Amino acid sequence: MNFALAAVLLPLLAAVLALCWRRQAARLVWLSTLFSLLLALAALWQVVTFGPASMQLGGWQTGLAIRWQLNELSALLLLMTALIHSLVASYSLSQWRDAGLSADFWPLSALLQSALSSLFLSVDLFNWYVTLELLGLAAVALVLLSGKKALQAAMRYLLLSLAASLCYLLGVALLYGHYGWLDVPQLAVAISEEPVDHRLALWLITAGLMLKAALWPLHVWLPAAHAAAPAPVSALLSALVVKGPLFMLYMIWSQLAGPELAVTGSWLFLLTGSMALVVGGWSALRTPYAKVMVAYSTVAQLGYGLLALGLMLHLTDPAFTQALFIFVLAHALAKTSTFLAVGEMQLRLGGKRLSTFRGASQTMPLAMFAVAVAGGSLIGLPPSGGFVAKWQLLLPLWQHSQLWWLLPVILAGTLLSAAYIFRLVVLAFNRAKPVRPDFAPALLPQWLALLPALLVWMLAFASGSLLSWLGG
Amino acid sequence: MSLVHWYLLIAAGLWGIGCYGLIRGPELLRRIIALNLMGAAVFLVMVTLAARTDPADGVLHALVLTGLVVAVSATAFALALVARTLSESA
Amino acid sequence: MSGDFWFDALLGLLLLLLALATILARQLAAAVMLYVVFGLMLALAWARLGAADLALAEAAIGAGLTGALLFSALARQPKSLAPAQGAGRVERLPALLLCSAISAVLGWTLWQLPLQPQHSQLPAALEQLGSSGTEHLVTAVLLNFRAWDTLLELLVLLLALLGTRLVAAPEPAALQHWPLARQWSKRLLPLLVLVAFFVLWRGATAPGGAFQAGALLAAALVVLRLNGQLPALRFDFWWVRALILAGVLAFLLAGLLSLWLNWQPEQAAQWLRWPLPLAKGLILLIELSATLAIGLTLTLLVVGERKELGA
Repeated sequence: MNFALAAVLLPLLAAVLALCWRRQAARLVWLSTLFSLLLALAALWQVVTFGPASMQLGGWQTGLAIRWQLNELSALLLLMTALIHSLVASYSLSQWRDAGLSADFWPLSALLQSALSSLFLSVDLFNWYVTLELLGLAAVALVLLSGKKALQAAMRYLLLSLAASLCYLLGVALLYGHYGWLDVPQLAVAISEEPVDHRLALWLITAGLMLKAALWPLHVWLPAAHAAAPAPVSALLSALVVKGPLFMLYMIWSQLAGPELAVTGSWLFLLTGSMALVVGGWSALRTPYAKVMVAYSTVAQLGYGLLALGLMLHLTDPAFTQALFIFVLAHALAKTSTFLAVGEMQLRLGGKRLSTFRGASQTMPLAMFAVAVAGGSLIGLPPSGGFVAKWQLLLPLWQHSQLWWLLPVILAGTLLSAAYIFRLVVLAFNRAKPVRPDFAPALLPQWLALLPALLVWMLAFASGSLLSWLGG
Repeated sequence: MSLVHWYLLIAAGLWGIGCYGLIRGPELLRRIIALNLMGAAVFLVMVTLAARTDPADGVLHALVLTGLVVAVSATAFALALVARTLSESA
Repeated sequence: MSGDFWFDALLGLLLLLLALATILARQLAAAVMLYVVFGLMLALAWARLGAADLALAEAAIGAGLTGALLFSALARQPKSLAPAQGAGRVERLPALLLCSAISAVLGWTLWQLPLQPQHSQLPAALEQLGSSGTEHLVTAVLLNFRAWDTLLELLVLLLALLGTRLVAAPEPAALQHWPLARQWSKRLLPLLVLVAFFVLWRGATAPGGAFQAGALLAAALVVLRLNGQLPALRFDFWWVRALILAGVLAFLLAGLLSLWLNWQPEQAAQWLRWPLPLAKGLILLIELSATLAIGLTLTLLVVGERKELGA
């Protein structure tokens, strides 16, 4: 637990110091992300060796205190947060002078990391509300780093995000009114002992979280916001921020919904997940802008998360929990790589449209390779992390014939993602537009964009231990 | 009808009015006011629920206080954003 | 029928009417005014429901500061309504039906809540109050039992300021200084500051605390600043930044100090656990710095970093 605590506090301290001492902000935050990566690794090691732990903040008894729970799942998510943040920070440090990234990026991203890490550790309904709000405001501020062109998108994002938090808070108030607990495991015990009709509370919480996580059909704010933000910010938003509410959705539905309500909820998640896959994929295929395409791909990919959640609730099979979180990890890595590489190519080649990428395989082969490799995982090509997640999803599905209609949906989603990735790759292999003879984009940012894509393919080698950690 | 029930019903009404203002608008400023009304409804629910015991539930009161500060922060941010958006489009 | 019954009945209906009028008022200025009145009435309702702390906070923060923010936003609103604002408007009838349905379902669910809570955190909190370092329950919850929430909440406030700075909103139209107002603010200032610190000090034993005090302090600073009696406050000044970060820093330092004092090599560390003899001092230190930080942050949020008027 000590390591996890340090992994939350270190970025927080770095953010405060970066605000005081602005000249060193970039280096301070970068160092803090690297150290928090080590700390998160140590926390995972601690969990695997000594078993799960929990901490009552302030040392008060359960219920009075906010509780943190460190188990394999939260340790993995903590590690994911630290890893993506350190990758994005390294990338931003390597190119921020060229990209004109504002110095305000550093304290904001450090605050984001701290809030997200706290969210993954906490199991307290009201503490989640405060972290959600922190996450939302930090995300909107980060989107605003793009300046004028991001104003409309940020405005919409902020208003919807505030409405979503209020829905969530109303649901929490209803639950507290019934049971008097904010601690999720204790609340689960109270609900199982004395079930009352708490449907409305759960639906309100679900609506709020689905809006925050941009799950179809409440995704309307995402493409504009993620596409308008600077590339490192888009990577953080798509890879991490939407996963926070998704994690909460999983925790709340798996623990607080009784068996009957879980089945009803599973239908919602199965239907919206299917729609997300198809509609998101179709929109990604249709858009002429590169970053909008990647953003719609997030909408589509979150559909897999919804399907896994729905199947877990429907069939109560732990295999789907594994699928859900392997998907979360794989998507985070792949999307980081895609956004960083696309952003880097847009910066050097100039232009927002897909046509910018004509011939990119010759002008910026490394970045284009990153997009293709990460795209492989998004499609689910073996042996990438995306493939492992999808395999984990499909394998148990074969045995449940009543849900056969999901198979063509997943197939359609896969084909659509293959189509939009290949659309980009084919363009890149076209004859290049002539570039200036001294065109020599820096290699370091491109390597840093490629790194997460390589990691997601290596995820397959770690899938054995991943499955065993997420199995319980 | 008890005091608690009466104020809970008022809160339900406030939430609906806030929702209406949020989706109808039309001005951005009014949507933000509507969000604040929805917030007021949630806080009223919490304060009323706290009043069910004697003495009132101080834990819930503390949560509302936290919520109030969060709400005013978010409102300030949103209003600045609105002012800038409007001055850009004007 | 007792007088209390009629009072609550009227207050409730008045709340609904004010809310409705806020949403439907033709003029935005009228809507803002009605909202402020609504906030004051809500504070009254909370006082009726036995929440003195919150009534004070709602009057100061919910009605006062939000009102000031709304009025300042109104002053920055351009004269001509931008056409983009009306976009995406839902038709009146479906919206009306939808919202009535929402209200009805919510009202029905709330109606069924038990009048006697099955369980609540109150007994546990009262039991531990003695070892929390403060005698007032709300302060104990905010600064001891659930201190992590409060630390994160200070961060939310900080983020709002950072975001507002990024937006670089236009300044409101310059106002004339009013000689009478200047005289008044000179007289009122010491009183307001005194009241703010009284409210803070009282928070240890009775309703009151850092947030209410911070809001009062902000009110004093805003009045002074608007009357041009205070030098410009800019985030770039190191002392402004230091004061704004003071709340979070005091929290973090107190937390790290307690970690160090409670440290036992074999046991897991416990975050935000104040050692009993120090609890009162630490809580007071955090409250004091938080009051300053909240006051200054809220001031900056309301008046912004405007340049000297007439300069």
